[in-house]
Amino acid sequence: MSIVQVKNLKKNYGQTEVLKDISVEINEKEVVCVIGPSGSGKSTFLRCLNRLEEITSGTILVNGHEMTDKNSDINKFRQDVGMVFQQFNLFPHMTVLHNVSLAPIKLKGKSKSEAETLAMNLLEKVGLKDKANSYPSQLSGGQQQRVAIARALAMEPKIMLFDEPTSALDPEMVGDVLNVMKELANEGMTMVIVTHEMGFARDVCDRVIFMDGGYIVEQGAPEDVFTNPEHDRTRSFLSKVLKG
Amino acid sequence: MEAAINALPYLFQGLMTTLYIFIIAIIIGFIIGLVVALLRLTPIKPLQWIAKLYVDIIRGTPLLVQIFFIYFGLNSLTFISLDNTTAGIITIAINAGAYLSENIRAGIQSIDKGQTEASRSLGFSGIQTMRFIILPQALRRMLPTFTNQAIITLKDTSLLSIIGIADLTQRGEVQASATFQSFAIWTTVGIIYFVVIYLLTLLSNFLERRFELR
Repeated sequence: MSIVQVKNLKKNYGQTEVLKDISVEINEKEVVCVIGPSGSGKSTFLRCLNRLEEITSGTILVNGHEMTDKNSDINKFRQDVGMVFQQFNLFPHMTVLHNVSLAPIKLKGKSKSEAETLAMNLLEKVGLKDKANSYPSQLSGGQQQRVAIARALAMEPKIMLFDEPTSALDPEMVGDVLNVMKELANEGMTMVIVTHEMGFARDVCDRVIFMDGGYIVEQGAPEDVFTNPEHDRTRSFLSKVLKG
Repeated sequence: MEAAINALPYLFQGLMTTLYIFIIAIIIGFIIGLVVALLRLTPIKPLQWIAKLYVDIIRGTPLLVQIFFIYFGLNSLTFISLDNTTAGIITIAINAGAYLSENIRAGIQSIDKGQTEASRSLGFSGIQTMRFIILPQALRRMLPTFTNQAIITLKDTSLLSIIGIADLTQRGEVQASATFQSFAIWTTVGIIYFVVIYLLTLLSNFLERRFELR
């Protein structure tokens, strides 16, 4: 059962074509990693999935909703699509607990105590229960990103989008965040992850999509894409990033 | 010296009028500033234009002319009748509102767009995002510039003495001409303004520490 269906997606910034005719389906409980050189359009593609970017043409169905329909309630649709950003984007004027519980209280009408119980459970899951009353600036990058994951999960989304979640982190922080994501994948969350962590893509993803120049160049099971890429561009990209 | 001490109770009554006008005007001015800032940030062009026109007119004319326009100009129209205190409060509020709107707008625009994206991705509407996420941060950030404008506005109220409002400045004038002790009286008036403004600065520093973005 596909939860995301993208057909003939095109996205231009002025004269520049960033995404040129992308069609792809993502199944429920599937974990998809999107890799590719910078400027390949992979982040833009991800941001189109919850309409943080307006698309130029094409259709995007998420949970059966047409995300690009201007007459539908995009705010409602977005509640089912969690997103985690490279720069965390926690709300600095609120405690960690408040960051996580705000959306369920305001958008789902949960009581404060109900939402805070949920938030505490999620913070425990990401290993930060003891930081509930801290402010984001008191946390390390890795801790902030785990809070950001908990915040997105608090809306009980059907699918989670990750936009280079570990790119802004110190190397020793990356593992904690990836472990949380791995656990989430094991629990059956549908995930689309734009990443440069090739090891993670190989170990955790069900499918790898390689993008370059606004196209999906190739996709498949990670063992196929990583060990036996079909296209030269994939090969040359992988030879550069896998060297280290 | 004796003249100044004798004048103190009378001057303090003037100070009360000054503070009364200042507090009401700065609160109304803040509300005007907030509304105008939000209008300038709406995607609706005519609303942006109206807000910008208002700011340009206020910034492009002297406050004294604005006071005369509202008190004498508007009152010359048969269907409007404003007493001098009301006219004074309105003028000061409209004037402060224009400057504050620019500060508030700058504060809102200084908030990283990642904050909006994170909020919208959770499912908050644009208005909810402004209310829960952007404004609380922007208002904290603009506290120092707000204090600055409040100090300017407090001093601006002294111009209202010209339309006969018995504020601190007007009462200073009365005392100076009654006692012929201009030096002592105006020194006293100056000190009173200075102390009040200094206290305002201390309050602002306290609030800044209290609401610092952690």
